[in-house]
Amino acid sequence: MSATLEPEAAERATTANARRRLLGYLAVRVTGLLLAVLVIGHLVVTHVVTDVAATDAGFIARRWSSALWLIWDWLMLASALGHAAAGVSVAVDDYARKPVTRRRLHRILVVLVVALFVFGSYVIAKDVYS
Amino acid sequence: MTIAQAAFLTGLSVVVLIILAFAGIVFAAARVSDGGGRLSVLLLRRMVRSPRERAELNRWAFYLHRISGFTIFAFLAMHIVDVSLYSFSHRVYDNVHSLYATPVLRLFECGLVFAVLFHTINGLRLLAVDFADLGIAASTRVLGGVMVLTLTLGALACWFIMRPVF
Repeated sequence: MSATLEPEAAERATTANARRRLLGYLAVRVTGLLLAVLVIGHLVVTHVVTDVAATDAGFIARRWSSALWLIWDWLMLASALGHAAAGVSVAVDDYARKPVTRRRLHRILVVLVVALFVFGSYVIAKDVYS
Repeated sequence: MTIAQAAFLTGLSVVVLIILAFAGIVFAAARVSDGGGRLSVLLLRRMVRSPRERAELNRWAFYLHRISGFTIFAFLAMHIVDVSLYSFSHRVYDNVHSLYATPVLRLFECGLVFAVLFHTINGLRLLAVDFADLGIAASTRVLGGVMVLTLTLGALACWFIMRPVF
């Protein structure tokens, strides 16, 4: 496709592409490092320190009464969804051969991730303002 | 069983099917592009040869990383919805969430913990490969450490998760 572009335009497109990929590379690693702490901490709290049978509504109410856990959970939501979107998008590029399928899958992925992010943030915000 | 519990179990079954389908796609593509994603006698024979040959293990780590990552995402998508029940009705949340304490779900959680541990520790290895500029032999050696850590910490976590059943 770049062969049909003017040389300057092709160079701009390549630079923009490279910048996007660098940003993606960094985003996956930064969110990955964050998640290493947030998710392991989440699992320790819900499965080791507390048995999963005791993680009822009262458990969430107690935890979400502290700002630390609200921030923890929201940060985990945001970084996990961002990390997943980047990862699955690479897998889509690898396995979907036809450009149409690829575009469609990317669109479904973006809609799904944005919907989950908005919904999850709404649930946390609702708790903060109630 | 309540309607909410049935909906949760249906959702979970769909998630598991999607994960299996994704793993199928990864291995089918591996057969085409990498010359073999199947665990075979030939592969096992290659594994016991020189460390250079064992570098092929990095490719298997890639498949495991991709499948474990997708597994966590598929579960997360459902988990966001089931935890959000809390915000609409504490009673429905408690009703659905009591399923997490059943033996079958506890087994599922063990699998999930292994997926999270492998994805996390191998992810840190990939960071180390880039930042410490590890070569193929060194990164394969570190992969051995990743597997040992994953299995040890995973077994420990499973002990905590399964203990109430016995």
